[in-house]
Amino acid sequence: MFKKISLFAVAAIAAISLTGCAPMGDATPTEVTVVTHDSAVFTKEVIAEFKKQTGITIKQIKAGDTGAMTNKLVLTKDSPIGDVVYGIDNTFMSVATENGIIDGEAAPVDFADVCLNYDKQWFSANEQPAPASVKDLTKPEFKGLTVLTNPATSSPGLAFLAATVELFGENGWEQYWTALKANDVKIAAGWEDAYFTDFSGSSGKGNYPIVLSYSSSPAFEIRDNGESQTQSLLDGCFRQTEYVGVLKNAKNPAAAKKLADFMLTEPFQKTLADTMYVYPTLKSIALPKEWSEFAPAAEKTVGDTLQINANRKDWLSKWSDIFAVN
Amino acid sequence: MSKKLWLWAAPLLFIAVLFYWPLLKIIGVGLSSNWYEIYFEPQTLKAIWFTIWQAALSTAIAVLIGIPGAYVLYRKQFFGQRFIRALITVPLVLPTIVVAIVFSSFRAEHQIYEQIGMGFFFENSIYWIIGAHVFVNYSLVVRTLGGVWATMDNETEEASALAGAGRLRTTLQITLPQLKPAIVSASALTFLFCSSSYGIILILGGGLVQSVETQIATAALQFLDLNKAAALALLQTLITVVAFSISEAIAKHPIGIEQVDESTHKPRLDKRDWPAIGITGLVVIALIGIPMLVLLAKAFTFDGGLSLQNFVNLAGRGDRELLNISVWQATLNTLRNVAISATLAVGFGSLISYLLSRTHRTRRARFTNRTIDVLFLIPIGISSVVLGFGYLITFGDGPLPIRSSWLIVPIVQALMALPLVIRLIYPALISIGSEHREAASIAGANSRQTWWHIESGIIRNVILTAIGFALIAGIGEFGAASLLAFGDQATLPTVLYALISRPGSNNYGMAMAVSAIMILLTFVLVFSASARIPRRRRSGAWK
Repeated sequence: MFKKISLFAVAAIAAISLTGCAPMGDATPTEVTVVTHDSAVFTKEVIAEFKKQTGITIKQIKAGDTGAMTNKLVLTKDSPIGDVVYGIDNTFMSVATENGIIDGEAAPVDFADVCLNYDKQWFSANEQPAPASVKDLTKPEFKGLTVLTNPATSSPGLAFLAATVELFGENGWEQYWTALKANDVKIAAGWEDAYFTDFSGSSGKGNYPIVLSYSSSPAFEIRDNGESQTQSLLDGCFRQTEYVGVLKNAKNPAAAKKLADFMLTEPFQKTLADTMYVYPTLKSIALPKEWSEFAPAAEKTVGDTLQINANRKDWLSKWSDIFAVN
Repeated sequence: MSKKLWLWAAPLLFIAVLFYWPLLKIIGVGLSSNWYEIYFEPQTLKAIWFTIWQAALSTAIAVLIGIPGAYVLYRKQFFGQRFIRALITVPLVLPTIVVAIVFSSFRAEHQIYEQIGMGFFFENSIYWIIGAHVFVNYSLVVRTLGGVWATMDNETEEASALAGAGRLRTTLQITLPQLKPAIVSASALTFLFCSSSYGIILILGGGLVQSVETQIATAALQFLDLNKAAALALLQTLITVVAFSISEAIAKHPIGIEQVDESTHKPRLDKRDWPAIGITGLVVIALIGIPMLVLLAKAFTFDGGLSLQNFVNLAGRGDRELLNISVWQATLNTLRNVAISATLAVGFGSLISYLLSRTHRTRRARFTNRTIDVLFLIPIGISSVVLGFGYLITFGDGPLPIRSSWLIVPIVQALMALPLVIRLIYPALISIGSEHREAASIAGANSRQTWWHIESGIIRNVILTAIGFALIAGIGEFGAASLLAFGDQATLPTVLYALISRPGSNNYGMAMAVSAIMILLTFVLVFSASARIPRRRRSGAWK
């Protein structure tokens, strides 16, 4: 076995040196390349700890958002751009399995709950009750107060669309969205502009006190009084679970397996909340104090059993018909 | 002739291997047998129509307000001119998300506009898209026109003025026809930039406004529908070729402009210039100045007060180690990339322009020239998603395994900047006219000497402009960088995106601080590139 590993290592190093980007003359025995979406973070401490445990150096390749990353991996599956992939979530996992890009089983690493957030300060200043449910958004008192993200161009948008399919049923969700449109909901292309430009509870100080974000977001809007300005609506949340898996045809599968296993252990899991704003799957990890106070995960989530990939095209085209501009 | 063929080899090989090979490969992999059916889907037709009319309208506006701008900023002389010239260039480099955030924050003030009866305007995202396109491309028009206008002889204009023609009439009848090649060139480029625009349409349109480029991105990134992506990429190529052919047909006979050195005395602004001054002043303040001030204000705001804290936060790798590298490292990566891409683009671009301008004007040579010209223009119109996918499948293994090398990013940036450089230098070269060249060859100079001593001197300004453009095209470049920059090779725009993808005011503030740094960097680069370089004395024999 050991021989095999070192053969792989030699092959990997040879391949990497051919491409001219390996640190030459380093004493590094081997290196493992992890492909992630743009938001994944490996801290210096994590990289050092993994190197200490295994002697392997982590090299990270950011390959766009989750959809772009998954599709890139499908395109390059005969000659993958890395050894291990981290960050494919349940909305894209079936693309990965159908195209056979992952070797063996992928393991869940972390999760995030896509939920509506609202600006507590705005609602108390306007002496108006905050929404209590996703269903409230179509009511007249919330007219023109909500900003959501486009499901065709943003992953929380797709998650929320899936949640509404489950909440209102195959026959009711289009009606709900038509009512939302009539109630002057704003659609932003991505989470960034919805949260920072349109939402009133963030530093962008926009005009909309209700936004589609994550259940963890209020932990990052704590003001001088020690209170969070925002709160999540824990009703109708969709859980995005992110996985790690070894890539088929990886140049360095043994090291890839080691990294995948390592990511389920404490040294990596304890960094998740702080660096990636997601909840660790390892239950023994204590969440930061602000999280337990202002950003608990949803107790119940919706849409977990939906066949998202099989329906994506159909849902998105129906949704686009409702909101088409040109 | 054979020597010329050799000179052609390098640039043609460069673009063939690094652009056409991956492009054709991804199109070949993508297209299925019934690919043309995509074009008849109502959704696609709508996207094509929108792409064309918004690009045409954005271009028309940019050119209309750009002409007086070029006049005031390049033809005339006044204190602070260089400062404003550099200022208007900054929007070109701002990553689209920053442009979009600034414009969205204006749009958020819709109550104000409703009060003045312009509510409809601020409701419709399409107007905002066009506004942002003009904001970004204004300086492209001004600088392209200005580069030629600044060095244009004004004898004819003066004669016309003496003959009693008003300044507007002189401009319309004498000056604009002379500027036609530059106007057409700038319009074609602006049109192509607007027709392949992605981030601005995506963000300001909320992802609801469909263009060819957004359809490609959705097809490729959401559905892995390579057939649609490839078919639409072919369509983009067609749009580029058609736009090019139209511009060539309009500017059929490039007019020989008698050029003078820019350092010659230029007239100062006077009272009769007020329409041009008025328009330009309004554009510079309202369209360029205010959005930029808003952005800077955001960068210097922390906890509701004026502060440098956002910049202090940037010194590390972010509060929570969000970034793989520090912002200063990313700045160095950016500078290294743009140094390489600008060298490649200006080197190849000057060579190609020189070779193009040298061909005898036979019908066949003209046809060959145009074909080559358009071959180098096509990269500007091609979706970076498609090209990025092409790189992934072409350069993974095989003879050129450069997929994971950092060199990829400057190479792609050079490909994108190359058409810009050619569009700037080539028209300037053909507009010089053959007189200098003939005089030189009578004096016994060979063509290379003529180039070095005569033309490179005369078009020095144009080359400086080209260098400036190649540099700034690289600084803000996000498409290639995000698709191809790996790990520790992050650039300023990718760092900015990493920051802005997380909640929390620290991250937002730091992202705005990164934008401020990009503004400053651009400003310094452009400002110093416009500094007057002491001029070699030209030999008297040729003067």
